Amino acid sequence: MIKFEKKNLLYKIYTWLPILALFISVFNEFDLNYLNIDYFSFNFPFILIFYFVLKAYHRFDYLLVFLAGLFNDTVVGLPLGLSSLSYILICIFATYLRNITISPNLIKDWFYFLFIISLINSINFSVLFLFFSYELDITLFIINNFFTFLFYIVFSIFFKRFLKSLND
Amino acid sequence: MAESRDDFIIAIRSAFLKKSTKQKFSLLTLAFFSIFIIVLSNLNFKAITVTKSVIKEIVYRSSFIVSIPENFIKSSYLNLNEYSTFYQDFKRIEEELDQLKSENISTKIIKSENEELKSLIDGYSFTSNKILAKVIVDHESPFLRSIIINKGSKEKIKIGTNIYDRNYLVGRVIEVNYTNSRVLLLTDLNSNIPVSIIPGNVQAIVVGNGDKKGEIKYIKNDLINKINDEGIAYTSGTGSIFRSGTPVGTVDLKNENEKILINFYSDFTQLKYVFAEIDELMPTTVEIEENNQTNVSSNTEQIKLDLISDELQILEESNTKFLKENKELNTLSNELTKQIEILKAENEFQKNVIQQHDLNQEELEFLRLNLIYSAKCQSKKLFSKGFKVGTPEYKECIMRKGKISD
Repeated sequence: MIKFEKKNLLYKIYTWLPILALFISVFNEFDLNYLNIDYFSFNFPFILIFYFVLKAYHRFDYLLVFLAGLFNDTVVGLPLGLSSLSYILICIFATYLRNITISPNLIKDWFYFLFIISLINSINFSVLFLFFSYELDITLFIINNFFTFLFYIVFSIFFKRFLKSLND
Repeated sequence: MAESRDDFIIAIRSAFLKKSTKQKFSLLTLAFFSIFIIVLSNLNFKAITVTKSVIKEIVYRSSFIVSIPENFIKSSYLNLNEYSTFYQDFKRIEEELDQLKSENISTKIIKSENEELKSLIDGYSFTSNKILAKVIVDHESPFLRSIIINKGSKEKIKIGTNIYDRNYLVGRVIEVNYTNSRVLLLTDLNSNIPVSIIPGNVQAIVVGNGDKKGEIKYIKNDLINKINDEGIAYTSGTGSIFRSGTPVGTVDLKNENEKILINFYSDFTQLKYVFAEIDELMPTTVEIEENNQTNVSSNTEQIKLDLISDELQILEESNTKFLKENKELNTLSNELTKQIEILKAENEFQKNVIQQHDLNQEELEFLRLNLIYSAKCQSKKLFSKGFKVGTPEYKECIMRKGKISD
């Protein structure tokens, strides 16, 4: 296991890794939200934001999440502010779950995450369809929702290791 | 019960309003701010448009920089692939080149013919200036198929500008910034392209299927049979959204869902450079020559006036001609009406004659039968069964050949 000297520059960069990953995923052309595979896509920022807000990670600034949403809208071509709203709603729901949870349980978090992403994707679809007259394929939203839900467990294992490495 | 409700309210308040030590804004503020941005971005205020444009400029450039490593890996992989199939490609290209050379000659002939016909139609033809643009962001979203190019309003790109990959249509510009613009690809669900399909010259609308192909929609059912597999679709120019005669793709009828698909000529996932077409209205060579000949008056306004007065004179002449013709036709029409009336009267007379003839025939028949059966039908004695002569009953009896009752 890699060990860092605290206050080292590399360590500081390492602590900022979740935010960096969020910004790279919204800026980069290689989008996990769209892997060019038929009937397969998942929303990586949703998983990342939910997990780290739930764990109250100190580097995960809401303002940065909000900005990441704005950048995502610009790059993807969605109406400005829509992804920001989605990301902030995830933050709100994750914070609420954190406040009401006494003993955290991964499975409960997982199903709560399914509820949240379903709700947010429904809001996104409705807003885009009703207010912005976008022609959308609802199947893509459902597939995206399903795989985002599935991949939460996989990514939560990596994220847990990341947080553990910081605490060590 | 009351306690649990209190806990819920506390948790909600905490989630919405409480800022932890490191946070600068509460989540509620940011949520409201997001909604505020969504609403504002739909208003067409100059300040908002400029701010949006600045944000987009920064984000697109940043996205391009962030994507450099990924693009490098992607291009290296593609290069490696290309090297591995180098010889086969060379052979194939050599054959294609021979074929294209022959096709090029016929294309040149068609092009010159086309130019000539266009100049005959309206004296003006569109010449296009195509400028090369680099694809700076090719962010494939599951919901929106678009690319960002490094040419914007600075290079006279406008909303609706047609974008090409070589000579094939790729899409059109839907958003313009100062140095870059967003192109909606033909594969997007919101993309509608009016096309003509040959053979058959069938008119249809191709809608992007959100994946790699287009789907033919809005076509008359009886025309579907006219479409062949591998038929060529090119822009029809209907609606003036796309220039007419640009190749779009080939028809694919091998779909399991019985949909008529279009395989686009261009692979939109491999776009590196594209051409943006800037249309300018230019006079044709024929007009230029005419202008040179009539060099007496350099004033174009005067030429236009002369042309209009000539046109007016021609119109007046043709108008007088039409009036004269109209008068003649009116006289002819009156004569014909009179003739019709005479013929009608004649017809009426003929009808009366025929009717009279029928009556006479009946009378003759009665007289003939009367000679034979009058004895049977007359009442001569007190208790005989006959009828009085001249009564309708007597006539009926005669016509029944002497039978008194049915």
